[in-house]
Amino acid sequence: MIIAERKPMNELLDMISGVKRLLVLGCRGCVAICSAGGDKEVSVIAAALKLGRSRSGEPIEIDEATLVRQCDPEYLEPLPEMAKDYDAVLSTACGVGVNFISDRCDGVNVLPGLNTTFYGANLSSGEWEEMCAGCGSCVLHLTGGLCPVARCAKSLSNGPCGGSTGGKCEINPTVPCVWHRIYDKLMDRKEEKRLQEIMPIRDWTTAGHGGPRRRIREDLLP
Amino acid sequence: MSAKIKGFCCNYTASVGVDALKEAGLVPEDFEMERLPCTGRLEVPQLLEAFEKGADAVFVAGCMVDECHNLSGSRRASKRVGQTKKIIQELGMDQGLVEMFFVGRGETGPVVDAVREMASRLEQTD
Ligand code: SF4
Ligand code: SF4
Repeated sequence: MIIAERKPMNELLDMISGVKRLLVLGCRGCVAICSAGGDKEVSVIAAALKLGRSRSGEPIEIDEATLVRQCDPEYLEPLPEMAKDYDAVLSTACGVGVNFISDRCDGVNVLPGLNTTFYGANLSSGEWEEMCAGCGSCVLHLTGGLCPVARCAKSLSNGPCGGSTGGKCEINPTVPCVWHRIYDKLMDRKEEKRLQEIMPIRDWTTAGHGGPRRRIREDLLP
Repeated sequence: MSAKIKGFCCNYTASVGVDALKEAGLVPEDFEMERLPCTGRLEVPQLLEAFEKGADAVFVAGCMVDECHNLSGSRRASKRVGQTKKIIQELGMDQGLVEMFFVGRGETGPVVDAVREMASRLEQTD
């Protein structure tokens, strides 16, 4: 899922300076699951901003709402009407939600409440880790299911750099070297032959280096 | 004007009522106590709202960790106090203005001590 985290309070307070009526708008998708922008977090952010503003002598009126998702048009339909009475809408969806509101809802002054960080998995309660970078050209069948794009600090395609020591990455001794893990995994699977195969130089167009990406499925178009 | 202290406790904490404590001069006049079925029900927004509504210091008195009537209620409350500390610090306030106290069931003394501790913290931050 998409992992995100709340922006620092001082950044949010700066962002809403001058705003008298604010709608904090949550999303029940990814950001609710990673405890960054669902109903609960909307209430915390609203209460904290009210306290921050009343401490600076500029009380603010804040309402709360949460949409099923902010990345599907049907859920955004009521938003322009809902947002009419507010100076701004602080979205606690990922950046996709904020962009989509900006694209679709003219007249809505949407602001980002979160920093969208990565695609990751929930390791345990309160802990997430990046696992995929959405490169658009998956190579996991060649690497024992472990991603060299997202999980190697240098996104190397053909083995570790010279800095891998004792199974750890040279950027930080707490980070496993994914290429070390790929080696172990392929040896375990008796797929060591894969290690001899040279991955060609990657075409990063699919990873977004060719501009914004779009996917169309003709069979689903209206 | 004296500082306002707000406390949250559960059904099982402090058997003596706040009015009696005030009459006995054990806690300040503008101390306010809200009794909840369980402190585990407390959410971060309630703690933040207590400040917004005028409290200068806020505390939660819950059962001893291993004696919580609802098993993990006070532990959960303590986590929420921790989150609240972080948020008020981000807002430029002293983290010590919100605190968790674990008190024996039905005991009133530790609650009075908690009020006094918060009052002394407020004196120090003045
Ligand atoms: S708006 Fe973002 S966080 Fe919400 S469901 Fe869509 S992708 Fe997930
Ligand atoms: S290779 Fe690309 S698509 Fe596959 S997991 Fe890694 S970043 Fe994601």
